Amino acid sequence: MNKTLNRRDFIKIMNATTTGVAIVASGITLTTFASVNEIPVTNKKRWGLLIDTNKLTETDIDGMVNACQQEQGWGTETHSTASQKPGWIKKLKVKDKATNKVSNLALMCQHCEEPPCVDVCPTNASMKREDGIVLVDKHLCIGCRYCMMACPYDARSFVHETLNNQKEHMPRGKGTVEACTMCVHKIDKGETPACVESVNSEAVIFGNLYDESSQINQTLKIIQSSQIRSDLNLNTGVRYSGI
Amino acid sequence: MNRFLVVFLSLLVSSVFAYIDEYANLGEQASSIKVSGKVFHESPSIIRKMHPELLRHKRNKTLRKGIRTNEYSLKGCVSCHVNKNKINNQYYSVDKKGQFCSDCHKKVGVSFDCFSCHRTVPRESLL
Repeated sequence: MNKTLNRRDFIKIMNATTTGVAIVASGITLTTFASVNEIPVTNKKRWGLLIDTNKLTETDIDGMVNACQQEQGWGTETHSTASQKPGWIKKLKVKDKATNKVSNLALMCQHCEEPPCVDVCPTNASMKREDGIVLVDKHLCIGCRYCMMACPYDARSFVHETLNNQKEHMPRGKGTVEACTMCVHKIDKGETPACVESVNSEAVIFGNLYDESSQINQTLKIIQSSQIRSDLNLNTGVRYSGI
Repeated sequence: MNRFLVVFLSLLVSSVFAYIDEYANLGEQASSIKVSGKVFHESPSIIRKMHPELLRHKRNKTLRKGIRTNEYSLKGCVSCHVNKNKINNQYYSVDKKGQFCSDCHKKVGVSFDCFSCHRTVPRESLL
């Protein structure tokens, strides 16, 4: 048998190999893209935040609020009064009456597992995604503000004026209710929320509460943490330590 | 009889102009893509008839299931069909008079409120 490859055989083999590699490679790329964008979110994940109030300074909270405004485009409303203006994150001071210890809280939508805002919404606009993020479907929102009354954290606000030049990823409009989305557009791309990115220290940790290997899960296992108004049994996604 | 013929002919001619008018303002990028022969949409007739349903389906998938693809995204429509003012280098809003969206919607007398919430020009970094 003649083992040497002639020109014709060489080209045949090379062609076959190239096609094979191309098919496999394109398969791999397709599945990678699909895994990011095309597969619906599931309840295998539960996104959460852990805020350490001992480490979080007032400047950090201001930074978080600014980062949120920059990312989502709220806070530039000119015609709204102070009480009408939206506030997706609020700086809250909590004082212990006995010791006068003051804790600073960054209070945003707590992304409850049993959200009262979803229970009361008459149009199903207020909704919870499978991965625990609570959102407002502004296509369905009729602006009744029942959810704002039902929320124990005063997390939602109402847009009182006509807006333009909204952020491309965050449509906002007059007559609808809005709140912290946990930067859902970033999470879906595998990034972290803007407020978490703005804090340099380890004061705010973001991650999947169900994932045993995530930093948030491991930290919550070893430290004392609490949910605000835990007596309401809402099982919030945002947890606090140091209060 | 002649009067009817005149009416009929004028209707015919105006419908021809209306047909041409639909291509009047496709948007800069979309026009150049069309010239190059590439087609993104199934067919103009399907996209003309079905775009509300396609957008509605896509918006529910995106918001409720987190499926963020470029197909049928309103962002995609805007960034392709927008026009730029050559003098001050600013984009025209797609819902303003004479621009892509309002052109057709005005013609058929259908109001649309996508852009009371959604951005009417492509994102800031493209400006």
